Order: sequence, then C-alpha cells, then structure tokens
Amino acid sequence: MGLAFDLLLAGGLLGLALQVVASRGLFRSVVLFIALGLLMALAWARLAAPDLALAEAAIGAGLTGALLLSAYRALQPAEEAADPGPAALPRWGALAAAVLSGALVAALGWAALGLEAPAASAGREALARLGESGVKSPLTGVLLGFRAIDTLAEVVVLLVAFLGARVVAEPLQRAGPGPSAPGSGEPVLTAPLLRLVVPMGVIVAGYLLWSGGHQPGGAFQAGAVLAALGVLLRLTGRLQPAAATSPAERLALVGGIVLFSAIGLAGAGTASAVLAYPEAWAYPLILAIETGLAVAIALPLTLLFSGSAGLRWRER
Amino acid sequence: MTQAGLYTLAASALAGIGVYGLLARRHLLRRILAVNLLGNAVFLLLVAFARRQPGYVDPVPHAMVLTGIVVAVSATAFALALARRYYAETGLDHLPEDEG
Repeated sequence: MGLAFDLLLAGGLLGLALQVVASRGLFRSVVLFIALGLLMALAWARLAAPDLALAEAAIGAGLTGALLLSAYRALQPAEEAADPGPAALPRWGALAAAVLSGALVAALGWAALGLEAPAASAGREALARLGESGVKSPLTGVLLGFRAIDTLAEVVVLLVAFLGARVVAEPLQRAGPGPSAPGSGEPVLTAPLLRLVVPMGVIVAGYLLWSGGHQPGGAFQAGAVLAALGVLLRLTGRLQPAAATSPAERLALVGGIVLFSAIGLAGAGTASAVLAYPEAWAYPLILAIETGLAVAIALPLTLLFSGSAGLRWRER
Repeated sequence: MTQAGLYTLAASALAGIGVYGLLARRHLLRRILAVNLLGNAVFLLLVAFARRQPGYVDPVPHAMVLTGIVVAVSATAFALALARRYYAETGLDHLPEDEG
C-alpha cells in the first residue's frame, strides 16, 4: 500500500517535470512547476521529513511560484512576439546528454545505496548528543547547534541575493505586481478577509517558531509564512513599494545575522567554541536567534517579490 | 524495492529531465525552471539517502536540504531579477550565444 502510493507520487513528480520542460506555453510550465512543488512537499512528508514538507510548501511552491509568475508577466511580450524555439544544440544532443546524466545519477545512487551504511555518522552523533543542543527537535539541533555555521551562511546568502537584486533592479514603476492604491476596485470581501487572515498568519508563524524547539517547525517555516503574508499585503496594495529602505527595515534585514554572529562569537568566551552556546542558556539563545532569523528570512523574500528597496504601510 | 531506492530512481530521472530542459530550451525563464528541477533532484536524492536504513532518519541531510531550499529561492529570485533587467535592456528573452 505504502509503496504503491510512493510509486504514484514518483510518477506524478516525473510526469509534471516532463510537462514543465516540454509544454509549449510558458505560463503552463510555470503553473505546473508550482504544482510540482506541492507534490515535492508530499514526497518530503512520505520520506519522514515534515520540516521539509512545511518549508517546501511555503517557499518552494508558494514564494518561488509568486516570483516566477511576476517575472512571467514582466517577460510576457517577448513570448507572444516570437517563441525563441529550441536552443542551438540539436534536440537529439540534449536528449542524449539528459539520458546519460540521469543514468549517471541513477548508477551512482544505486551503488551508494548498495554500500553498507557506516555505523557512525554525523546524523547518529547528532541524535545521540541531542541533549547538549538545548532543543528536542533533531533538525533544529543540527541547524542551530551542531551546524550553526551553515545556517548563518545561508541567511547571509539570502541578504546577498537581495542586495544583488537591488543592483540590477528596474525602476520602481516597473517593479513587481500589485495595485498602486489599496481599495481601488477590489472585491468587497478582500478587506474583511485580510483582517482575518493576516492575524491568523502571524499566529501560525509564531506557533511554528515556538514549536521548532521540540517538533517540526522553526525559523525557516515561520519566516516563509511571514513572507507569504507580506506578498499578500503587497498584492492587495496595503504595502506599497518604496525607493528607499527605512532604518527599521535595515535593522530587520541585518538584525538576525548580527544577533546570530554576536551570540556565536560570544560562544568563544562563554562556551567551548565559536557558535557554541553556554549549556544553561542554550534554549533561550536559540529561540532569540530563531526569532531574528525568521524576520531576516521573511523581509528579504517579501522585498525580492516586491522588486523594491523598501515597503510602506498604506491604510485605505 | 525499498522506498529509498524508489526515490533515488525518481531523483535521477528528475535530474535527466532538468538537464534536458537546460539544454533544449533557451527562454531564460525556462532555463531557470530547469535549474530548479535539477536542484529538486539533488534534494530528493539527499533525503532519500537519509532514509536508507530502516527505523532511522538522518537529520543532517534534512538540515542541508532545508538550507538548500532557502538558498535555491534566493538564487532563483536573483536570477529572475537579472532576467527582467536583461529583457528591459535588450528586449531579448534568451542569450545571444544561443542563436541557432
């Protein structure tokens, strides 16, 4: 039964991926890619990775999809004018390269699966010493305890991507979608619905952040939910793009990184090493870092979608 | 066949499809989609491997993939910003070296 479901899921994934690559219409490809993201979330759930399922559904399918659709609209006239058609490489060449690379991955994967698993691995070590990390969730323990350097670098990558996007950004009037004024011709139910959805979203994000200590959830998922709220408010005109980043936004953008780095560096004196926490304080410190990280993930993602340097609240 | 084996095969097919999309299509948005498919294949491979032993799930690949998902969306957003600016400057939706 279980394997049959996995077979169906894998088949669905591959069928969608084929359609994404092969379908004629670009819009169709983008929408099917979003559907693929949702199936990936199901696959993560099947593979006992609920944290990944949450993150994939919110970031992989939701935010990436919003970014892709926005870019599709910006690039649309070109596609209507002329389909650029296939690349210079002949189709059989691309097909051969694809089949060979797929076979290579399959052969390597199959060979590696056949090897006997090592008795001692980083994962087993992490599980065995989870008590030292200060949290009960293995994933949060790895992300913020044992491999904190990866998480720190990842938030820096996000900030650098945002700065890079600012460098090549188009003028503000050509920035992302969304009406220029809230309430102009929007459906009657939009405002009451937002009044319900936005506070609920903030509560869900807070819950995900809190639950990261002992069950699936954490800064990434909370940040993704907050970013989705930002996209919603931007699309309904409540948040307007601005040409300048306000001091509060600057603080939110770098605050998580500064806090994480400061606590990490302090670890050299108060704990055993850089990016280690004093044992009694580990949980509160991790929670503080995660809160900063959730904001430092949500704001750049919202700004990347908005295509602007800043956002201003605008009540109707 | 075990679950890890099944998803390993699916990941390799996904990688093949991604490579094909990257080589055979030249619209910039399609290339970005293809790179994302390749990334998803790598994630699927890592998570399938985390489950290769019965009764044990390795948290380290999961952490790597979670980090990877955020890095992938960052890179995608930057690539899309580049593509938009490139289109605004040149009116082209593909790179000139791909002219057949």
